[in-house]
Amino acid sequence: MNWFYARWGLIGGVALLLTILTYQDYHTRLSTVPLQTMPGSSSSSKLVRIQGMVKSGTLSGDVEGGQATFEFTEGPVTIPVVYQGPPPENLRELKVLVLVGHWDAQTNVFQAQDTALLNNYGYVAAAYGVSFLALVWMLFAMSQRVMVLFKEIKESKLYEPEVDSLAKKQ
Amino acid sequence: MPFFKTIRWIVWKDLVCELRSRETISSMLFFALIVILVFSFSFSMDQDAARQLIAGIIWVSFTFTGIIGLGKSFSSELQNDCLEALQISPIPKGAVYLGKVLANFLFMLSVEILLFPLFILFFNLDVVEELGILLLVFLLATLGLSAVGTLFSALTVQIRAREVMLPVLLLPLAVPVMIAAVEATRGTLNGDPYAFYSQWIQLLVVFDIIFTVVSFWLFELILDS
Amino acid sequence: MINRFIRYIQRYKGWFGGGAALCLLIGLYTGLLASPPDYYQGEVVRIMYVHVPLAHTSLLAYSVLFGGSIWYLWKRDPLVDNMCQAAATITAMFTGLALVTGSIWAKPTWNTWWTWDPRLVSFAVLLLILAGYMMLRRLVDDPDREGKYAAVLAIVGGVDLPIIKFSVEWWRTLHQPMSFSTRGVSISDDLLVPLLFMSAGCWLLFAYMLMIRTQMLYLTELLQAKKGRLLSQTHFSQSAQ
Repeated sequence: MNWFYARWGLIGGVALLLTILTYQDYHTRLSTVPLQTMPGSSSSSKLVRIQGMVKSGTLSGDVEGGQATFEFTEGPVTIPVVYQGPPPENLRELKVLVLVGHWDAQTNVFQAQDTALLNNYGYVAAAYGVSFLALVWMLFAMSQRVMVLFKEIKESKLYEPEVDSLAKKQ
Repeated sequence: MPFFKTIRWIVWKDLVCELRSRETISSMLFFALIVILVFSFSFSMDQDAARQLIAGIIWVSFTFTGIIGLGKSFSSELQNDCLEALQISPIPKGAVYLGKVLANFLFMLSVEILLFPLFILFFNLDVVEELGILLLVFLLATLGLSAVGTLFSALTVQIRAREVMLPVLLLPLAVPVMIAAVEATRGTLNGDPYAFYSQWIQLLVVFDIIFTVVSFWLFELILDS
Repeated sequence: MINRFIRYIQRYKGWFGGGAALCLLIGLYTGLLASPPDYYQGEVVRIMYVHVPLAHTSLLAYSVLFGGSIWYLWKRDPLVDNMCQAAATITAMFTGLALVTGSIWAKPTWNTWWTWDPRLVSFAVLLLILAGYMMLRRLVDDPDREGKYAAVLAIVGGVDLPIIKFSVEWWRTLHQPMSFSTRGVSISDDLLVPLLFMSAGCWLLFAYMLMIRTQMLYLTELLQAKKGRLLSQTHFSQSAQ
């Protein structure tokens, strides 16, 4: 009986560990930095991701060629952006998107290198969470029941069906 | 007893019971009238809205009244242990099934034919030119409903909570009949060309054949004591 | 005296559970971490790796229920009846989860939790049939009849399912064009690897759950019989053969 709970405890622990590792991986890859922290921060070459909207009427440059300047806004904050990278498909005015790049403190400009889709992995987490929690909970409940039943049947001194005599006859 | 003679006697028995008591058809008719009234209260309809909704309303009321008739079909056999008599009598069980299907089919169809003029009256339908095709749709869909419904009527009559379980089991299985009947009826009422909805009539024919055969074989297990 | 199939299951079920865990772990790793996000849908495309295997597995599970029901009506082996009952519950679980994950996927891609997509509707009807099946099982007093009636319902439902699918598909295509038929996903190798591992994992998991639940139902009945509550001796005359 203790083995049973030890095994399920181990499974639960491993599952928790893997969930945390996966979450951290997603966090480092996909988390966005708030736009307000950008102006005034010291420049660094470390890539960050920012989410916001391309301000209407500010987009200029050769967007198809991968060169553009525009203003990027989120709430009250607006920062200028210079985009230089692969030709972006989803760079339009009034488009909400994620930019990958770094802040240049000398010129007070965000140097973007790439665009990305909004991170909406909350839906992914919900789908996987619901499915696996439900399945594992059902599995645990059934296994526990089977374990208890085997034990009870083994220990019971109750009436034994006549199957023994039938089996011996054959 | 020969097969077809059994069918004839079962149908005859049900019809005579019905003619003497007038229980099933009158309760079905009453129920259907109430359903129609409720529908006309809950949607305020002009001619255009009626065109869109009427096929659905017709088949919802027909299906629910049909379920009442189907439930009565076997629960009336519980009196005086008639069900047990059917179970133990040396007659082919398939014939009992076919007889019951035929009787239910006749009850449901007669209610539908009585009600349809009321629909025309209440919802200001244009009288349809293609009444023949409409009648064919009614025939096929009613046959499909009573083919599955009779099986489940015989099944649910022998368990607890039978009044609830008949619709619960029957309605999901009758989804194709409902869809096909509604679509074909709407097509006919709109005056669409036959080719537009012929696939639904084919679907009804296929459903009827498959489920009459399957239920015919399975019925023996259900009426087996 | 426990039925020998139940003892075989007890001996070998661990392999299925282990295989399922291994496949699912590889599937989760490749699906959640190693595969790239979709060009249009972004990260949300990863829901596919759990949604599609669940949906496939629920259809497989219903075919097990269908086959088991025919087998039960043919041989009247109570253990097969237990297996059918177990399969129905697990099928309902998988179908429900397929619907829930489909709904979660629909929100970011189609911007609605529910749409009358043919496949969603067919699965909802399947879930209703299974709910009816499980209710029916509780409402019959005699275990012999219970198995028989449930098998009849499962067979009629199994014959009906393809017809339901066709009719719902025609019905939807008649009213609105199928705008999301392929959901903008082309199957490439990056997608195929996690999909295959998750499918294999879900199938093994289904087999494992089926074994455990069959054991559970059988052992519950056996314990009741030992306590003298089950009057019918069919189980024990069967297992002795």
